[in-house]
Amino acid sequence: MSREALQESLSAVMDNEADEMELRRVLSASDDAELRATWSRYQIARAVMHKELLEPRLDIAAAVSAALADEDLPVQSKTVVRGPWRSVGRFAVAASVTVAVLAGVRLYNQDEVASTQLAQQAAQPAMSAPQAQSPAMLAGFSTASEQQGEAETASEATPGWHDQRLPAYLRQHAQQAAMNANESALPYARAASLESR
Amino acid sequence: MRFIPVICLLFGGWLALPVVAAEAQDWLERLADAGQSQSFQGTFVYERNGSFSTHRIWHRVDETGVVRERLMQLDGVEQEVLRVDGSTECVSGTLADQLDDQQAWSAHDLDSQRLLESYDLRIIGESRVAGRAAVVLALSPRDQHRYGVELHLDQESALPLKSLLLNDKGQLLERFQFTQLDVGTLPTDQELQSGTGCQPVTASKAAAEVVEAWRSDWLPPGFTLSRVAERRSPASNEQVASLVYFDGLARFSVFVEPLRGVMVEDARSQIGPTAAVSRRLATADGDVMVTVVGEIPLGTAERVALSMRAIEGQAIQ
Repeated sequence: MSREALQESLSAVMDNEADEMELRRVLSASDDAELRATWSRYQIARAVMHKELLEPRLDIAAAVSAALADEDLPVQSKTVVRGPWRSVGRFAVAASVTVAVLAGVRLYNQDEVASTQLAQQAAQPAMSAPQAQSPAMLAGFSTASEQQGEAETASEATPGWHDQRLPAYLRQHAQQAAMNANESALPYARAASLESR
Repeated sequence: MRFIPVICLLFGGWLALPVVAAEAQDWLERLADAGQSQSFQGTFVYERNGSFSTHRIWHRVDETGVVRERLMQLDGVEQEVLRVDGSTECVSGTLADQLDDQQAWSAHDLDSQRLLESYDLRIIGESRVAGRAAVVLALSPRDQHRYGVELHLDQESALPLKSLLLNDKGQLLERFQFTQLDVGTLPTDQELQSGTGCQPVTASKAAAEVVEAWRSDWLPPGFTLSRVAERRSPASNEQVASLVYFDGLARFSVFVEPLRGVMVEDARSQIGPTAAVSRRLATADGDVMVTVVGEIPLGTAERVALSMRAIEGQAIQ
């Protein structure tokens, strides 16, 4: 397969637009040092464009690997275990953190606007699931994956606590909101729509 | 690579901005002035995820400049509001709940200068709404912490004929749209007379002294505190602090309610365009529940909820 096609796929993965084929292609080539370097460059470019803080030298995977290495493993043949684990692990952890954060942010800013969108959302986390282990999700977006169902299950501890308050909070918010003196119609309609639920 | 076109787009957008911005800004200023100077009546629809309703509006400006406005929902439960010069005279049953001052639906002047810090304003074309020619303005957010608005303003009067709220993917969150509008016809006294279900609102006096007990460590750029209030909790006798933040267009409210040892879990939900996030916060005085409600993305609401802090030495009373 040509390098160009691979980079195209990598770009798609980064943009969270990869289909399953592309994702597999990138994953199967993830041992390739050049590909990993490209991935890293893309991340830096992306961070610059989004004016995000990025510390390219921050290598979480290396730190994790070092910590693992210090641990007394019950296995005798440390080197055999460490070799492949480190190279795969380094990419996997770094990639999974990035993918988890990207997927998390995307998922996070979603809402249940339309069922079609829900379908898309379901596909996105599934796509990153092989890499994005739960600890990576916990890093920044602990509850992102439970977004949809949580409102319903949230009041387990004290049933109805939120149910009692949220409608009133929503109402207060709608009443305080108004775009300007002329446009009281929109916030009024917003408030009214809450009542006829 | 796929993001090179994005760079071109970004730079292109910046270069084109100043040329059209002036004209677009004129329209915004006309909009800000439109309701103060013109009488109109009409019918509009409001649509969001899970809700569709129709309403009628009567808006009259006297020779003396007094603005009287009556709004009524035409389908389902009869809901009504009557406002005179920006203060609420009466509201119908369910809407009246929790309303304890006349400032509800209060006027906040559209500040086009301030708004431009957070939104990119452009004229994107012309359209026709409710049988009238309209100019279309786009207010695109400059970051991911707010939604975009597409405004269709009446060519003749600059009244908003249609207003769409859009998320970062361009999906429609909310639609406000006139289906019929009559500009210049004065609504009669009878039309501005509220129905029997409309309960008069009396001003509450002692809302003045509100201690600022909460602040936010992080706010989305452009948002500032526009109002602090305190009122009784809808479900207990606790006082709930409420803070309203505003960026010139979008708005969110933060409610802080003491838990007094009650075990409550965090929650989040999305009702049409409005995100609601509740987060438990530990303070020296025991845990409180911070609830952020507003027309902002859920992720932003979550971050605000996580950033609320008690101001040192001023616990909630």
